[in-house]
Amino acid sequence: MSESIQTALRTRARELLELGEVSCVIGYERSPRGRVRPAFIYEPADADRLVWDNTCHHNLMVYLHDRKTPPRRGEEVPRVAVVAKPCDVRALNVLLHEGQIAREKVFVIGVACAGMCEEGTEELQARCRRCRERVPIFYDALVGEPPKVTAVDEDWADVVELEGMSAAERLAFWTREFDRCIRCYACRQACPGCYCFECMAEQVDPLWVGIAIELPEKAFFHVMRAYHLAGRCVECNACELACPMHIPLSLLNRKIAKEVEALFGYRAGGDPQTPPPLATFRKDEELPL
Amino acid sequence: MSDNFEPRIVGFLCNWCSYAGADMTGTSRIPYPPNIRIIRVPCSGRVDPLFVLKAFQEGADGVMVLGCHPGDCHYSEGNYHARRRYALMHRFLDFVGIEADRLCIDWVSAAEGHRFAQVVAQFTAQVQPLGPWNGLQRRRR
Repeated sequence: MSESIQTALRTRARELLELGEVSCVIGYERSPRGRVRPAFIYEPADADRLVWDNTCHHNLMVYLHDRKTPPRRGEEVPRVAVVAKPCDVRALNVLLHEGQIAREKVFVIGVACAGMCEEGTEELQARCRRCRERVPIFYDALVGEPPKVTAVDEDWADVVELEGMSAAERLAFWTREFDRCIRCYACRQACPGCYCFECMAEQVDPLWVGIAIELPEKAFFHVMRAYHLAGRCVECNACELACPMHIPLSLLNRKIAKEVEALFGYRAGGDPQTPPPLATFRKDEELPL
Repeated sequence: MSDNFEPRIVGFLCNWCSYAGADMTGTSRIPYPPNIRIIRVPCSGRVDPLFVLKAFQEGADGVMVLGCHPGDCHYSEGNYHARRRYALMHRFLDFVGIEADRLCIDWVSAAEGHRFAQVVAQFTAQVQPLGPWNGLQRRRR
């Protein structure tokens, strides 16, 4: 299955580059050490570097807009093609909705996805076991056949377990987890939703987060980052996978996703028409305060 | 917790309703707990969740966000946004270990001097049994 997807991806990438439809194809390649890593293909001859298997977990939408070097005024933004799993397309949807990317600048090579595996195992990642869509909600070209996987009901077991604790236990849990953070910001860099030119964590005036690598600063950063993604996080889990200290960041994001769904009946990235819940309101709504 | 613990409460009050309401409480000579430290903001919609978390980090035991009643916002819709924001924030802060009872969002109009005193008294009584907030806090130098 992944063999045929890989071949189709390479063919499609070569075609797009040869026709000059896009300047670059963003996909996955194998690193010299054998792990899969993001790849940027500029020449048709290089298209055969592209790979596809069950370890292509990176969310490539993060490379679509280069937040460090935005295009100069009057400079044309190049059109690129990107290999996208269903979860990645939802992230792209959020970016499109927020006006970060123009739809015509992206050629979406959607991949029917059977799920990604935990590193070094053949076991599906928890988020992939919960996945509700196996085919991207939109694409310019689709690669692969929709896999036959029975969808599971949304399962909030991990969040509910923590909710069941007392506030003091939860505080102890998060103190332990946040304390491991080394403030490398890998979570933020890997996140497609974190595209601010100046992150609140790096703002100096006002200084929201001090420079110390101490628990209060670390906790503040993680709590606020999660909240900035409220109603925007598509649970691609890029943050958690990027974290070198294995902090369960998905728990924070999933707690918010759970509450957003309960309060506003909204799921991030699903529908391009509905604005994100914290960017809108209904006058007559009754919210428990 | 000891009975004589006096919680330190930070209140973000909107300029147009709640701050004027607090003023009304004062001019009407209605007593209310001195625990609240009032910060005037243009609108409850101006209260960034950063403010709330920062207050907790800098030593607040409880945080209040008070604005105009829904429908009465000076800027038409600021408090509607605040309502959504804090309905969610409430549940999220509880999840990371800051008890939900330490955060309060309510509406006080410029005419409701009595209500302001009542809301503050109620919240102070609510935070008092929780004791001082010591988690995730910046160290005192």
